Amino acid sequence: MSCRTACQIFHRRLASTAAAAARPSAAEVRSQRSAVFSREQARQRALYPRVEKIEVTVHGPGLEGTLLIMNRGMSTPLSCARHLTDYHVTSSALALVDGEPWPLHQPLTRSCSLSLLTFKDADPSLVNQAYWRSCTALLGQVLETAFKDDFAVELLPTPEMPVTSGAFCCDVVLDPQLDSWTPSEESLRSLTRGAQQLIHQDLAWEPLEVAPSVGLEVFSHSRHKQEEVEEKAAQSSRGTVMLYRCGDHVLLSGGPLVARTGLCSQYEVTALHSLGQGPRGLLRRAQGLSLPLQLQAHHTVWRKLRQRAEKLVKVPKPEQLTPPPAEPTPPPPPPAASQ
Amino acid sequence: MRLTLPMLISHGRVARRMGLGPESRINMLRNILTGLVRHERIETTLARADEVRFYAEKLIDYAKKGDTDEKAMKMASFWLTEKDLVPKLFKVLAPRFETQTSSYTRMARLPNRKNLDRAKMAVLEYKGNPFPPLYPVKKENELTLINQLLKGYREERAQQSASRA
Repeated sequence: MSCRTACQIFHRRLASTAAAAARPSAAEVRSQRSAVFSREQARQRALYPRVEKIEVTVHGPGLEGTLLIMNRGMSTPLSCARHLTDYHVTSSALALVDGEPWPLHQPLTRSCSLSLLTFKDADPSLVNQAYWRSCTALLGQVLETAFKDDFAVELLPTPEMPVTSGAFCCDVVLDPQLDSWTPSEESLRSLTRGAQQLIHQDLAWEPLEVAPSVGLEVFSHSRHKQEEVEEKAAQSSRGTVMLYRCGDHVLLSGGPLVARTGLCSQYEVTALHSLGQGPRGLLRRAQGLSLPLQLQAHHTVWRKLRQRAEKLVKVPKPEQLTPPPAEPTPPPPPPAASQ
Repeated sequence: MRLTLPMLISHGRVARRMGLGPESRINMLRNILTGLVRHERIETTLARADEVRFYAEKLIDYAKKGDTDEKAMKMASFWLTEKDLVPKLFKVLAPRFETQTSSYTRMARLPNRKNLDRAKMAVLEYKGNPFPPLYPVKKENELTLINQLLKGYREERAQQSASRA
């Protein structure tokens, strides 16, 4: 064990020095993260070599008394939904396993009671919060891929926004070269288009619960992300962190996300405010507004909500925003044509 | 009353004529009304449902006077051909509509009869019956995502107008 931690520290040192020397391209980083994610996912699936059966009791309107015999460590709530109707497959966003929120793509490990949550439930506040979180994740993914390779984009741990605040937000530190850049209407529109392409691809948010060591390996290129992993692992009761992968973008989440990007229908990046100079560079806050496929707004209503979403949203509790540790940003790469 | 050409031609006889004559009409409506009181929801032609609706409401008005009232009892025993329904009228239906003063019934259109006559059909029911609703119940949920967003929007507007005032 001690050898392992020493290895990790050494590895991190190496990683940080390597980052200082020459920053790997964004595509490489993404593929490396995705590869580590796939490897860990395969390892966790291999933990159940034999097909064992579990009993899943499904609860929901019209489903009382439904008992499904599923495979342990293999069947997900989504495969349970596939045994029901197409409605359950397309409209459920999150599952509730023994009263705990459970991502739809995460395999079930024990006999349990299951209920599928949709946006039109009697009390959809859990789903709403998960949806808002997923939209934030999508925004982060778009921001990370929208810029050219020459510009470093660093996503900060995002504060949780209540739905009533009117917009979800994603804190980001852009490359120092972009400090004077003010995003125009067109650039916001291009971000929106990037998000809508992801929505059109209907990618799944694959969850994976990993030990912190794997989390550190996934984010071996980013010191700040590693610190975030350690912090999250210390906070969680089981000492693990939740990773999600959407396409080839791996992210760290504070809570369950909804099943897939295709659940979003109306999605717009509304503003990119600058919050002033932070310890890592100019802090910016991207904001957006989205509505799921099942709850679409008329364009007049959407316009009003959109105008509200352009205003800077404040974090409800200021202590939630963890002060980022003072760490020098990697040296700026050679300048190139801006976007 | 609006004077129209069909009304001029009909020489004042504008009421709907049904059955073989006035007496036959009354008897038919009695039978339908008895069925309505028994089953609380019936399906019949639109014209008959529309005619019997007035009597169904009037019967409840009488029943609300109580079973000691002479006129009410006379009306009940006339309109209900099956006498075992008289207690139901006074004990079940009259208390149900105590809070209401009118519109005890509900009528809805059905598809035309597939018969040769293609008659317009309707369903007539007393309100508060135990059957599933005729129209889908409108679900309003304040907690859905869009309603929460709109709630935040309204609150912000209220705050702005309060600070401006």
